[in-house]
Amino acid sequence: MKTKKLLARLAGFLSADQTAQREELKSIRKVLKKLKAKERDLTARLEQTPPGDEHEEIAQKLQVIYAQRRKGVERVRELKGRTQNPSPS
Amino acid sequence: MIRFWRQAPLPLLLLILGYGFWVSPDFKEIAAGVALFLFGMLSLEKGFKAFTGGTLEQVLRASTNRLWKSIAFGITSTTLMQSSTLVSLVTISFVSAEMITLAAGIGVIMGANLGTTTGAWLIAGLGLRVDIAGYAMPALVVGVILLLQRSKVLQGIGYLALGVGFLFLGIHYMKEGFEAFQGAFDLSGYVIPGILGVLLYTGIGMLITVIMQSSHATLLVIITALATGQISYDSALALAIGANLGSAITTAIGGMTANLGGKRLAIAHVLFNVMTATVAIVFIGQMAWAVDHLGALIGLADDEYLLKLALFHTLFNLLGVILLAPFTGVLERALIKYVNPAPKSREKPLYLYPGALETPATAISALRKEVGHLYDNAHDLIAHGVSLRRSVIDSDQSLADAVKNTRRIIPLDVDDVYEAKIKSLHSDIIAFISEIQGRELSQQSVEQLYDLQQASRDIVEAVKATKHLQKNLSRHGLSANPLIRERYDVIRLQIARVLREIRQLRTQDPETVTRLSLDAIKLSVQKSGRSFTADLNELIRGRRLSSSIATSMMNDENYAFEICSNLIEASHALLLPPTRAEQSAEGQLALNEQDIARMAGGNSNPRTRTHTDENEKTAG
Repeated sequence: MKTKKLLARLAGFLSADQTAQREELKSIRKVLKKLKAKERDLTARLEQTPPGDEHEEIAQKLQVIYAQRRKGVERVRELKGRTQNPSPS
Repeated sequence: MIRFWRQAPLPLLLLILGYGFWVSPDFKEIAAGVALFLFGMLSLEKGFKAFTGGTLEQVLRASTNRLWKSIAFGITSTTLMQSSTLVSLVTISFVSAEMITLAAGIGVIMGANLGTTTGAWLIAGLGLRVDIAGYAMPALVVGVILLLQRSKVLQGIGYLALGVGFLFLGIHYMKEGFEAFQGAFDLSGYVIPGILGVLLYTGIGMLITVIMQSSHATLLVIITALATGQISYDSALALAIGANLGSAITTAIGGMTANLGGKRLAIAHVLFNVMTATVAIVFIGQMAWAVDHLGALIGLADDEYLLKLALFHTLFNLLGVILLAPFTGVLERALIKYVNPAPKSREKPLYLYPGALETPATAISALRKEVGHLYDNAHDLIAHGVSLRRSVIDSDQSLADAVKNTRRIIPLDVDDVYEAKIKSLHSDIIAFISEIQGRELSQQSVEQLYDLQQASRDIVEAVKATKHLQKNLSRHGLSANPLIRERYDVIRLQIARVLREIRQLRTQDPETVTRLSLDAIKLSVQKSGRSFTADLNELIRGRRLSSSIATSMMNDENYAFEICSNLIEASHALLLPPTRAEQSAEGQLALNEQDIARMAGGNSNPRTRTHTDENEKTAG
């Protein structure tokens, strides 16, 4: 194994907190990706649906996805800030 | 194994054993050897179970995605555990919980049959040459010391060491017993020549295995009897074939208590072993010839019958695998096509059976499926409760039109259906959960159990609310007064939408679905409730509706809210993402009650669920 790899492993081992944060970041990104796909699908459906109850339902679903994604993006920013500038412990 | 002994006529067995102990001290020694051997296997089983609950499951899933991997896994695990029965039964529980496919299960069973042959080599090669009891003693001492430790892992290793120790000690006693037995009674005088003898000894081998519930123990008996000249080499070959058949019967008994997947696998096991045995019996002469030649090739002397027997055992099992492996896919398809569930009412649990309790992962997986089954029953009942057919909910048809065009209320005795399809299943789920709780569980498993128990309760609450709603719905749902009819249509439409949305989420690919979609349903329910109340208040203010019918409507809207909220909560537990990290990520992105209340257009005070029984007092 190369020295670089070994050092990376050691660093990961020593900063368990950061590893957990990276894991969290990865999971949130995965969920955000799912939401993005759903958003695209709903936007396409919204364009094809005439105004009415169904149109309103889809718009409402999109509104929820925006709110959820906003939460997710904020959390990602927060975590990114932390992993780049780890607070002294 | 334990189940068999419970069902066996125990007094008769004890009587026979007692007589045997009284008549022959050698018999006593042989019986003690078998008992120690079986106890050793129980200890091994217990030891390996200490390591399940995560690791074993993960390894199993990764090791069974290809046929060759399944076979290799079966060989390795059986070689390590020295019990094909245990591997087969655990595999049945995994197939039943749909954690691995039927084809993968068949592969593991084939591998287990091959893996079990290593036992014959171990006993024949080592057990009867070396003073095996000498190795047993340290294993027993170390085992007991480890058993007294607090760490579960050390205790598990302790059970494994004890298992090995007792296995060795069992072999030793059997050997001693047979050696002494030899002088008193010579079985070799009863050799029956020809095919009749082969069939007879195959039957005897099968019987011994079924009684002892272990082909390993039977092989031990065969090998020690052969070593002491009690039986001839030819009879030993037939007995070994019988031992193989007997082990399939043991698994079949275990498989019969499993669900459909488990039954199919048990049938595959029996088919495989019967086929292998038939080939071995038909070609026993040719096989013996092949063993002689192969034995000579690997340097076995002509009179080394013990190792030749082990070679025969390996050879005929290998032949079975080679013959059947290419047809695994065909066998799987045939089993799925021809082995179908007996028609039974839906209220019986489909996934809960004792075998599912083997490991926490299978138990929780089975439980999740069963709660899903309960949800499906509730889905049908609630759909009928709002006078819509299930096919309408499941289709793409406009729900608004379906509700508007309803011409009759579907007659439904909710109490009856509740008793038959919901309550009994809910009770079975609760009983199963208490069974699991009696075992050792990780924190994550405890949380999952709690969520599933809560989901089951939520479903029951939704059904209870349906009962109250349905009473008024049948009275006013198709009212001639358009104002009343329209309000009830709104209630019915809301419930139907929730049923459809959840159904769609549950049938989507788990890779693309997220529980976050439930937030939009929650918002829709909140919005609909608010608009309903605002509408109703306006009608009351304008004196267009009597206050008594308006009160009934308010109660009914509350029941509808209960039904929807409980269904949403229940599906939250059913739509679990694959990893814990994703669960937590979804939790962080999910909208809380205040967010939803704000988005619904009101203040941030959320509307919460009330218990159905509290509403009962005010029901209109």
